[in-house]
Amino acid sequence: MASIETDIAPRRPAILRGLRWAAAHRSITLGGLLIGVIVLAAIFAPLIAPADPYVQDLLATMEPPSWAHPFGTDDNGRDIFTRVIYGARISLLEVVLAVGLAVAVGVPLGILSGMSGRYVDQAIMWTMDILFAFPGIVLAILIVSVLGTSLINLLIAIAIFSVPVYARLSRNLTLGLKNMEYVEAAHSLGISRRRIMTHYILRNAIGPIIVQSTLTAGTVILSAASLSFLGLGAQPPLPEWGAMMSDGRNYLGLNIWMSLFPGLAIMITVLGFNILGDGLRDLLDPRR
Amino acid sequence: MKAYILKKILALPLILIGVSLLVFVAIRALPGDPARLMAGPEATQEAVDAMTARLGLDRSLPEQYASFAYGAVRGDLGTSIKSKLPVTAEIAERLPFTIGLAITAYLLAIGIGVPAGMIAAIYRHGWPDQAVMILAIAGASIANFWLALMAMNTFSVQLGWLPLLGVTSWKSFILPSITLAVLPTAVIARMTRSSMIEVMSQDYIRTAYAKGVLPRNIYWSHALRNALIPIITIVGLNFGSLMGGAVVTESVFNWPGIGRFLVDAVRYRDYPVIQGVTLVAVSGVVIMNFLAELLIAVLNPKIRFD
Amino acid sequence: MTMFLKSRRFMLASAVAAGLVFPIAASAATLTVMQTEAPRSMDPGDQTATYTAALLDPMYEGLVKRDTDLSLKPALATEWSADASGLVWTFKLRPDVKFHDGTAFDADAVVKNFARHLDTKRGLAASGRLRTFLDSVTAVDPMTVQFKLKTQYPAFLALLTTGPCLMVSPAADAAGTIGSKAVGTGAYKLQEYKSGEYVLQAKNTDWWGGAPKGEDQIKWTWTSEPSVMNMALQTGDADVINPFPSAFAAQVKANPEMKLSTTDGSAVFWVSLNTKLKPLDDVRVRQALNYATDKEGLVKAFMQGYATPANSPLAPVTPGYDKTLNPYPYNVEKAKQLLKDAGYPDGFAMSTIVQEQEARIGELLQAMWAKAGVKLEVRKMEGGVWSKAAFLDPAGKEKDNIGSSIASWSSGVNGADLQFRPLYYTKSASPAGANLGFFSDPKLDGMIDKAASTLDEKARNAIYVDAQKEVNEQAPHVLLYTKRDLFATRAGVSGVWMIPGGGIVVKDGKKK
Repeated sequence: MASIETDIAPRRPAILRGLRWAAAHRSITLGGLLIGVIVLAAIFAPLIAPADPYVQDLLATMEPPSWAHPFGTDDNGRDIFTRVIYGARISLLEVVLAVGLAVAVGVPLGILSGMSGRYVDQAIMWTMDILFAFPGIVLAILIVSVLGTSLINLLIAIAIFSVPVYARLSRNLTLGLKNMEYVEAAHSLGISRRRIMTHYILRNAIGPIIVQSTLTAGTVILSAASLSFLGLGAQPPLPEWGAMMSDGRNYLGLNIWMSLFPGLAIMITVLGFNILGDGLRDLLDPRR
Repeated sequence: MKAYILKKILALPLILIGVSLLVFVAIRALPGDPARLMAGPEATQEAVDAMTARLGLDRSLPEQYASFAYGAVRGDLGTSIKSKLPVTAEIAERLPFTIGLAITAYLLAIGIGVPAGMIAAIYRHGWPDQAVMILAIAGASIANFWLALMAMNTFSVQLGWLPLLGVTSWKSFILPSITLAVLPTAVIARMTRSSMIEVMSQDYIRTAYAKGVLPRNIYWSHALRNALIPIITIVGLNFGSLMGGAVVTESVFNWPGIGRFLVDAVRYRDYPVIQGVTLVAVSGVVIMNFLAELLIAVLNPKIRFD
Repeated sequence: MTMFLKSRRFMLASAVAAGLVFPIAASAATLTVMQTEAPRSMDPGDQTATYTAALLDPMYEGLVKRDTDLSLKPALATEWSADASGLVWTFKLRPDVKFHDGTAFDADAVVKNFARHLDTKRGLAASGRLRTFLDSVTAVDPMTVQFKLKTQYPAFLALLTTGPCLMVSPAADAAGTIGSKAVGTGAYKLQEYKSGEYVLQAKNTDWWGGAPKGEDQIKWTWTSEPSVMNMALQTGDADVINPFPSAFAAQVKANPEMKLSTTDGSAVFWVSLNTKLKPLDDVRVRQALNYATDKEGLVKAFMQGYATPANSPLAPVTPGYDKTLNPYPYNVEKAKQLLKDAGYPDGFAMSTIVQEQEARIGELLQAMWAKAGVKLEVRKMEGGVWSKAAFLDPAGKEKDNIGSSIASWSSGVNGADLQFRPLYYTKSASPAGANLGFFSDPKLDGMIDKAASTLDEKARNAIYVDAQKEVNEQAPHVLLYTKRDLFATRAGVSGVWMIPGGGIVVKDGKKK
């Protein structure tokens, strides 16, 4: 497929080439678009949002959607649309921090496990199995209880329960790559183990890790929102989507807007990451 | 084969010990003084000290772990700080509700997910396939507590069709189980689809086609039987994520199961309950995973989970 | 035909199964009450929670009871007297009373009930207050008991109606089962306790007071969700809701099928300022925060108007309360001026700790105080963590930089001493008591002590008026509001009433 495109490429203008590629990779395009919109909203939040996400107006609480407040106002009279927009910043930050931390810990552990002999391998994998045995939310609740309730602690908790995913993935990749000819050749050339890990194994494992990260991003947002919803994550007045819904739940039957819009925002963002992740996986591994 | 099963059986207690250690250590590191909480805001220091002794919190950590582990093996998980009832009895009272919810949700997920996945596979690239895949990816992207809130608002608050609270009749199961089933349905549909596609492209199915076996028979008897393995995998290995979902769903629906029990316990710093529920839930997950792996090993000796 | 039969049998079987699984689904003779939290214990002496006390009320009785007009009436004691010193009290007990387990109620039972609180090794949750003034309880004869007090205690009789002084069966207490299986002398006895779901109480046909007036059964359920409470009342899943979430008050008022009742509450909400931490050690700064607080706005936004802005450390229902005080009208300019005088023309930053259910107060104050230049950091905590942080000593609070704590205190109608002493007395400084900001004022301490030993009510209340002025002047707290207590019932429910402080009494409740 790819080779055909490059053959035709020089004769077509770039924009058409792009459209063609997009048509062939609909998932990546759609997912990328959704995430792109969210990222733009996050970056330009102060320009897009009509109000300040923290300023209260006690005379205009829990108003239904109107021209002045497209999503209505919350129980403190804050503009919900503004808070949803600013919430995108928090959600993307969650993804970057939690996934980054999980990758930073899990991947080296996995490669080390795959490269090392039995005991190190078994010790690491035993630890990972224990962590993996916990339902993510339950482990996160436990960790948050210990560290204290805050968004940062919640992200640490989510990162910890995501570590085994990356450790297992990179261990399997390492096991597969370890016996490849060029890695063995590097060994015999006397290249250090460390260099082999970083230059040979890691470089080849990066594709699947990126795919996994995109898919984990959705889980991160959902988990963070769930725990914030339960009151174990983001603290007021932070406009975190789950925390906003937690406020909204108190007024169910009186006002639905406080819960409706943050939930939609979560769904669109997670959908974006999932579609993008699916597309990337198909691109790397078309068999599935 | 035997060696593999033996290895799995031997690994089981190791994992359980690791889990109990992790839970125990985490619980001891919790901030907040349960003795002060239990003694109440007006308690004197003396009363708090008496409470500390009563709860055994003044003993050394290894001593506390030993008595915790010994108790857990005998089915004694201590006494709830909040209700002062035995944790085991409290869990036993709530567990049926969580299991009932989980079974209903799984039945729904299998009942909807498997046919949907099959239809998608049979009409691969056709509109049914597209529709199923879009729904599946949407289902995997939805926050289940949001869905729960919206469903509650529509069916209980606005329309008044379904009960809102805990368990009063069979109707109480409808919203929580549907909410909880969304994610596994999506996963099962996708899994069924891809394994059906794989199976259908295999030689013996093509041979059956060539022999003139009716397509319907092929789908149902040959293909589905082979697609069973991934379904078991999902049901067994995703039990953990279902439990996680139950924690949130139960909290939203005021469901008297162990998930809400856990969340409430965290709020009150009810150490023995957090400890007990986590241990029971995780042990359940570990054992479900183990059974799924065994079953798969028997059904298809080629597959290994290492 | 066979198919038909089969399906009929199946239907029958499932109907039976459903009946078995849900035996107590809506029955007309059951009064269903829903509160915000699960009971903490079945032992009234081992809990200090308002909603637990309300749940236990139908099953337990004390020597004295509070009547619907809030006066004190005989219950398990028929008459009582005090000697001239006010330190020795003698109670005649009611004859022919039995606990639900058949144990006889007599002087021995009373002595054992108080002995368990005076035993420091027991560590029962509600013992603290009794121990501060009660010296001993002895049996004079099988039907007479004598109480010796360490000091005079004006609220003594009122206290006899509360948790630690309700009579539990000594047999059940000795067996160690009282915490999970209630055994009292009350008009209702415990039928079933499912800790995750409900408490079911049934009429006690052997009650000394004759046939109980209420419904055959009382079922207690609970949820922490305000919307669920509201909905339960709307659908009739619950007959009585306490406390009723004020956000939904307007909705219920407009609905003829429901009845909303409000009573003057006794819980005073405040922000306790850490007087050992700069700049809050300066009284001008504390006053400035009081001026910067828009109490009316707070009451409107957080309580939908169902609260009274606080003008005194006492609640309006507390004896001695002075309604003429108005120390801190909302005035941002004045707050700024005071801060300037104190040397903080550009304001300052401080923190507050708050429990989840009151987190919005923190958010609202954050916005209000910002106008006076004060940057408030709100730390929301779960109950247990909050308690630990709130009850730290001065060094601990300095280390964690805890500038203030948001909380409430309710002493009901039981006397001003129960509000002043734990909150403002020097010796009550945390962690010993609930003086969370370590406020110390010898002048006020003197007033509190003097009032406590003044038996004449008028003279005592006069001292309390001065004490209120002194607290207002020194401003150890930013006083916010006194909550009005709301409860709601279905329109056909009668006989349910509330003791100021939030305790609901349902044992005489009837459904139409």
